[in-house]
Amino acid sequence: MSRKQLDHTLLALAALVAFGLPLVVTSPTYLQILILLFFYAYLTTAWNLVGGFAGVLPLGHAVFVGIGAYTSSILTLQYGVSPWIGMLVGGLIAALVGVVIGLPTFRMRGAYFCLCTIAFAEGIRVMIENIDALGPLRINGPRGLLIPLKDASFWHYQFMSKEPYYYIILTLLILVLALTWFISRSKIGYYLAAGGEEPEAAAALGINVANCKLLSMALSCFLTALAGTFYAQLMLYFYPKGLMGLDLSFEIAFIALIGGRGAIAGPVIGALVLRPLNEFTRIYLSDMLPGLHLVIFGLILILVMLYKPQGLTAPLAALYDRLARKITVPGDAR
Amino acid sequence: MSNILEISNLTKHFGGLTAVSSLDLHIAQGEILALIGPNGAGKSTVFNLVAGVYAPSEGTIRFKDREIHGQKPWDLCRMGLARTFQIVKPFAGKTVLYNVMVGAFLHTGSTHKAREKAEEVLATLALDHLRDNPAGNLTIADRKRLEIAKALATNPDLLLLDEVMAGLRPTEVDDMIAIIKGLRDRGVTVFVIEHIMRAVMALSDRVVVIQFGQKIAEGAPQDVTQDENVIKAYLGGEYGAA
Amino acid sequence: MTAVIQAALNGIMMGAMYGLTALGLTLIFGVMKVVNFAHGSLLMVGMFSAYWLIRLTGIHPYLALCIVPPILFVFGYYLQDVVIKPVFKAERQVREPLTVIIVTTGVWYVLDNLALMLFGAEYRTVRTAISNKSFALGEFIISVPKFSGFVAAMLTAAGLALFMRKTKTGMALRATSLDREAANLMGIDQYRVYNIAFGLGTAIAGIAGCVLIPFYYVYPSVGVVFDIRAFIIVVLGGLGSIPGALLGGLVIGLIESVFSQFMASTWTEAIIYAIFLVILFVKPSGFFGHKQDW
Repeated sequence: MSRKQLDHTLLALAALVAFGLPLVVTSPTYLQILILLFFYAYLTTAWNLVGGFAGVLPLGHAVFVGIGAYTSSILTLQYGVSPWIGMLVGGLIAALVGVVIGLPTFRMRGAYFCLCTIAFAEGIRVMIENIDALGPLRINGPRGLLIPLKDASFWHYQFMSKEPYYYIILTLLILVLALTWFISRSKIGYYLAAGGEEPEAAAALGINVANCKLLSMALSCFLTALAGTFYAQLMLYFYPKGLMGLDLSFEIAFIALIGGRGAIAGPVIGALVLRPLNEFTRIYLSDMLPGLHLVIFGLILILVMLYKPQGLTAPLAALYDRLARKITVPGDAR
Repeated sequence: MSNILEISNLTKHFGGLTAVSSLDLHIAQGEILALIGPNGAGKSTVFNLVAGVYAPSEGTIRFKDREIHGQKPWDLCRMGLARTFQIVKPFAGKTVLYNVMVGAFLHTGSTHKAREKAEEVLATLALDHLRDNPAGNLTIADRKRLEIAKALATNPDLLLLDEVMAGLRPTEVDDMIAIIKGLRDRGVTVFVIEHIMRAVMALSDRVVVIQFGQKIAEGAPQDVTQDENVIKAYLGGEYGAA
Repeated sequence: MTAVIQAALNGIMMGAMYGLTALGLTLIFGVMKVVNFAHGSLLMVGMFSAYWLIRLTGIHPYLALCIVPPILFVFGYYLQDVVIKPVFKAERQVREPLTVIIVTTGVWYVLDNLALMLFGAEYRTVRTAISNKSFALGEFIISVPKFSGFVAAMLTAAGLALFMRKTKTGMALRATSLDREAANLMGIDQYRVYNIAFGLGTAIAGIAGCVLIPFYYVYPSVGVVFDIRAFIIVVLGGLGSIPGALLGGLVIGLIESVFSQFMASTWTEAIIYAIFLVILFVKPSGFFGHKQDW
């Protein structure tokens, strides 16, 4: 078969396995683990739209998860709006906040943008932790929001079992991966790549680099907020430190960086490898030394950046390439 | 509109240094104009002023009868003004085809059309055999051609070429001269900065000479190179009498 | 009215110490053109070093000032040399060394979590010889530790400025910050300069640590709060400017202190962030920064 056929077959197989998994794995505990795995893979892929494609480093992205969660939850709790609609509203607000942060900083050095994302993420989180109510909106400060059980239904975005959640996050993940793939092949993708590599040359070719970055930022923040609503509806409880903290922001960024931030599959592969690793080290090492798994995680990042700054996906892709060449017929090679 | 570019009284100060002073210059559509002068004369500054990298301190620049000073480089490109860089800036991690497609996307949103346009430009510049090579692996001569290809893909009416001959061997210079003449035949007006006199003589319809930011001569290549002031500027006072 | 002036005085002293933390950051940026994301963690290391030193030996904080900064200088010097320099070298050609930022973020992460692992998350404080002392200035009360901090900040800034202007090493630093290639051609080893700059920046964080410990809590993520403050100050004052860092610190300290007389501290924070946003939009190069630096 040709290389293209091989790629497509493997992709189809992976999709089949992913969709069929709940038929085999029935324990809610394991389903929950898979759901969270896909949740992280989704977040890192959405992050990649800015971090990989636009060539800047957002280090406070968890704040958009929080914006999504808070928006949809407040709208549900106090105004009875369906979380699906609240999700879209949250996405729009997140996109707006992202644009406000990006507008002044995309014209400057990358470091400014990084630090501003951290500064504003922490600023917003601290403010939410200190506010009980903002006018008529009940925010509840550090205690977070609790969503009461309603009748399980699609409209209420609540379900009795784990399977629907599994399929929702899987669908979201596939959508965001498809979007990423599509963008990389489109005008905006080419423009972002050019602007990231040689901004002056890109400008001379008609590219308004800052605007392109703003577009990818808005998109990324929107998508990230959608995951916030998903999390709120999955867990039915969240609080600022857990959902909007730097820990989550850094974890998202680090996973994408270790996986490979330019590649489409990089963040997903990073999530598939690192999330289990993190959980594993946390469970087995935390009794002795709490926080050791985080130190290890940080050290992995430093080591990967020192020796393979493009991420781990690049050597893996090269390996796949070599193997694929052995078993496929050249011809339709591109 | 016969003058595609009209510069009047152009002046640029950088703090206490006046890089360009009261420069008047025009280019007719379809011309090839060369801007020459000793090192530090202000040639690149003129280019950067026209290309929107700097804003003039005084004076006006009109492109296709519109005042353009203060516009950003990307807006100017959309208006039909393209440029190359003296130190070439390829997107080194991407293929040659990708590089040119970036330029080709200016007038289309479709990846397919951009690829077609890019392949056409690559063929014009005899680069299509390198289309899948990473741009960072090219020789200097090919990189210079790629630089022109990128700019050409944006369908410019006026193309600013900044020392494209620098670093090329004599045969490569001849090839480049042929390419630039070919550009003019395709309807592109060309504005070059050049040091290699052979190219200037072979290519240009008119030459403008500047020194210390001021125009000291203008005219046909043969006349300008005999001009006393020009000789003095390049070679020093003793050679002035001719 | 008295309360406001008292608050203003406290704000100026606290602001000077904020400026001190920003000083190291602005120095490292000025010379290396890189924002050191690990700066807050280095401050935390300084604070914990001072904490353990005083807690275990009971020495006077002024004495700690002689011990901790040199140790931190060495720590910073070798951190830069071993961890950051290789990445710098690899990214020599790149206009924006993003991987350096990532690595310093990694260092931040590792240091903070190492502290969490070793010391636990609780807030600690230590009683020192000067902790509760204060003196009167007219009708106002000046706390001794805060005043010492103010003096230390001023002296450090002055000392740094003198060092940069008068000593050979200082001039090497300034030369590298202006044009690293030219400096290289003049025989200045740019990487050694970076090591020194980083070591100095860390040492200044050590001074800040010693100065804060008599009256401030220390805990593993204390660096984050100061880091963000320091960054806002550095933007306000201009990246790379020593007087700018001090001035910016004083402004922030004043605003924080005076405004909290009239409103809850959450809203004071919000105001500081609002000012930060305005500066970013209107004059991102700050008071004394150069337009091309960013």
